[in-house]
Amino acid sequence: MAACEKRRSAPAPATGSGLVEPVRAGVGVREPESEAEFLLQAGVTSMVREALLKVLEARPEEPVSFLASYFEKLVLSGPQGGAAGDRHGQQQRLVRALWYMRLAHHSHRTAFNNNVSMAYECLSARGRRKKPGVNGKIYSELLKKICQDGEAPEEIVSSLLRKIQCRDHEAVPFDVFRYGMLSCFVLLEFVAKADTLYDVLDDGSGVADKRVCQAVLGTLEDALGASDFSVPIRYLEAGSKLGPDCLALAMDRALLERKICSSMNREEFLKKATGLFIAKVKPID
Amino acid sequence: MEPPAPSLGHGAGFPMAPDPALCTVRSPVALQVGDVKTDLARPGVAVIDVALPPTQPLDLQEIVFKNSYTAFLTVRVQRRRPCDVGREGARKWVTCLWNHCLMPSPHTEAGSQDYFSVFRHQMLCDVDQVTAVRLILRQPSPVWLHFTLEELRLYPRGQQSLQTGFPSWLSNLAPQQQPENLHGGVPDPEKVSTEVQQLWVLTEMIRANQTAARIGRFDVDGCYDINLLSYT
Repeated sequence: MAACEKRRSAPAPATGSGLVEPVRAGVGVREPESEAEFLLQAGVTSMVREALLKVLEARPEEPVSFLASYFEKLVLSGPQGGAAGDRHGQQQRLVRALWYMRLAHHSHRTAFNNNVSMAYECLSARGRRKKPGVNGKIYSELLKKICQDGEAPEEIVSSLLRKIQCRDHEAVPFDVFRYGMLSCFVLLEFVAKADTLYDVLDDGSGVADKRVCQAVLGTLEDALGASDFSVPIRYLEAGSKLGPDCLALAMDRALLERKICSSMNREEFLKKATGLFIAKVKPID
Repeated sequence: MEPPAPSLGHGAGFPMAPDPALCTVRSPVALQVGDVKTDLARPGVAVIDVALPPTQPLDLQEIVFKNSYTAFLTVRVQRRRPCDVGREGARKWVTCLWNHCLMPSPHTEAGSQDYFSVFRHQMLCDVDQVTAVRLILRQPSPVWLHFTLEELRLYPRGQQSLQTGFPSWLSNLAPQQQPENLHGGVPDPEKVSTEVQQLWVLTEMIRANQTAARIGRFDVDGCYDINLLSYT
């Protein structure tokens, strides 16, 4: 216990000059310090500042438990963390990297990039005997874990992973790592939004008309079509093509076709919608 | 009266508008009662005369100008009618725009330096075969010392040429009429549009954030067979 607790030297008592100050994990004589200096020297200031910054970035709903888990992980990353068995350590590193990735939403670009770099560093430190760096195996495991926790359908996840996965032996550079993480999180959000869209399209009945779904997906595909214009014009074009009136016309026209009324179920709709998304993901080579 | 300084009202044509007509724009002349030199009061009325080449009467499509602290504008045109050919002095002046308000509050800045465009369908009378245009400027407020119109351009009719390569979606900017009798089964277009636009944004984001970094694979068709590796 004495090693863990360092007591600040109390001011010399007026009586009994022979009494030495009782508890001093003695490295050397320490002069009486002001409180601020003590905190600075112990590294507490920077640690608390980091913790506060993390809270501000993540804005969790329960700050106390967030801070608790943050400090717990901080302790684990200390000297004790690396001493655990290599496989166990790898699992821990994976869990910690996952925790980093979840801190900020991908739309908070700066915070997200910071977290990605911290996760990358965390995964790179691979124990005492191995060389540092992220290999394809742990990268793929992380991707799978993210997608599993996001509860995305298996088929969709595998078609994305086919594009961004790396082979087990390959060394993954940071840019590729970041792109893979971003694609995963954006895909999860895309699936969630496509799900909501299906809810809108089925009007609460549980099944949506196939013609309407195809009309909407067709309009989306058209708006996503490659155009040569610069970014602002592309946004204007998409906004005009995906406005409520254009969509209403497309859906109305679709319903006028005299096909046999069939329905498209949720899985198929999600698969088609995410197909449009995954087509735009650049495969890693 | 000092001689008016003519200036050619010939500006650079916009890519999507026809060229302005060649005309001579005179500088504004203040209308004043009494002797100009001795009377100190500033009048609030000025007139700009625009002369067109007499041999080429103009079918007016549009008048474009930049305001400079004028509050109200009246435009009169002199037309040449086929019936007037024989009689020289019988060309009539007609008011085609009466007291058009350029500045909603003459004492304040609103509209004082805006660009305005007056089309033929806004005018009170037919403006074909115009030979002269007179712009009467009024500024009742004593706050502004000088008021005039700048960059005056007259555009003739009938030179509209459709720009090639015009994106079709731009021409649909006017809101299309919602079909009144939407089928019962059509879901709410507003909600659908919101969701679809978010999907578009997510896809666009991933497209914009592509990484240029490469892993550096050297396999051919997914195979590392040494015999198949290419040398180029």
